[in-house]
Amino acid sequence: MMADAISATEFRLLRDLIERLCGIALGDEKTYLVETRLAPLLAENGCQDFGAFYRLVSSDPSPQLRDKIVDAMTTNETLWFRDTHPFSILRDRLLPQLAADLSQGSRFRIRIWSAASSTGQEPYSIAMTIHEFCRSNPAVRPDQFEILATDISPSALFVAKLGRYDQAAIARGLPEPLRDRYFHQEGHVWTVNDELKRMVTFRKFNLQDPMEALGRFDIVFLRYVAIYFSDGFKRQIYGGIARLLAPEGHLIISAVESLRGISEDFQQLTHGSGSYYQCQLS
Amino acid sequence: MKKVLSVDDSGVMRRIIGRTVEVLGYGFLEAANGVEALEVIARNHEEIALVILDVNMPEMNGFEVLSRLKADPVLKAIPVMMLTTEADRPRIIQAIQAGAVNYLCKPFQADDLTVKIAESLGEGF
Repeated sequence: MMADAISATEFRLLRDLIERLCGIALGDEKTYLVETRLAPLLAENGCQDFGAFYRLVSSDPSPQLRDKIVDAMTTNETLWFRDTHPFSILRDRLLPQLAADLSQGSRFRIRIWSAASSTGQEPYSIAMTIHEFCRSNPAVRPDQFEILATDISPSALFVAKLGRYDQAAIARGLPEPLRDRYFHQEGHVWTVNDELKRMVTFRKFNLQDPMEALGRFDIVFLRYVAIYFSDGFKRQIYGGIARLLAPEGHLIISAVESLRGISEDFQQLTHGSGSYYQCQLS
Repeated sequence: MKKVLSVDDSGVMRRIIGRTVEVLGYGFLEAANGVEALEVIARNHEEIALVILDVNMPEMNGFEVLSRLKADPVLKAIPVMMLTTEADRPRIIQAIQAGAVNYLCKPFQADDLTVKIAESLGEGF
């Protein structure tokens, strides 16, 4: 039977190996990360503990196992505030204008669509960004914002709606002050506070279905989804979003996606190192 | 409280599955091999909502545990999810035909594990 946890020595050996292999430097607080990410590889290779796994890697001249370690340690899992810049764009560029519209009464409610919400990190990150903005701009309130989070997987939606995350999941990109402000801890589990949950409505939605029933939006987040689609389907989706957005509404996609040659309904804008798109349809 | 049973010879893997099950609001049971699993299931079958079976275990592998469960008139109703490696993929079709509701290949991402377990539990549907 395997050891229940990685020992301090085993962690140090693997930490140094990981740094040599892919340049990722891990602090002592990242023990859980090594354990969580590498445990499936231990099992796959029949290793009884992390020491045996280290010895196997050290004695194996082939690159396959090392590649798997690099992959396991670097593949992005769902992160809080993934890529950072979409949320700085939201905070610095989009929310100030929308807040001014709310204050002047030219808008009464802001609607944001997180179109592939997976296990909830993106819509809750949007909700935290709005909450933080409202803390420093008391003229607007979180209840003036509505976030619709959709996903094709009912089970992913179930997990997202629960809003419960273990220690490893909560640590991926979430600054501790925000964790402590918007989550509460029960044992190993961190749960999203009701003030954030109230802002987000979860709903099953297939991007192949007609979007009109979802209503109008001021901002749409559609990230790391279109990369898997054909150009024809991308045109259909971005065209649908353009018609769904309020005049001068905004679309946020990932840095690995592009509208070039796909849609002419949007103008690309930049903020810092990040891009976002403004709808040109009236 | 309904419980999820993890059957895996890896203690670390059982611990990771245990944390995920806790997040989903289920109780947790564990067994380190197939023989132990059948004992745990016999004692607790009324409260087990899902069995997560590692394929590669000494003594009795996951496929054999699955076929024993599905041959039992009472225990066959318990949903089973298989944990496999890429190398086992061809045999997974057999496991699904034999009654497994789902499978996940190692190595996997933690989010995938959470969603797959929720899916196997029928949560969200």
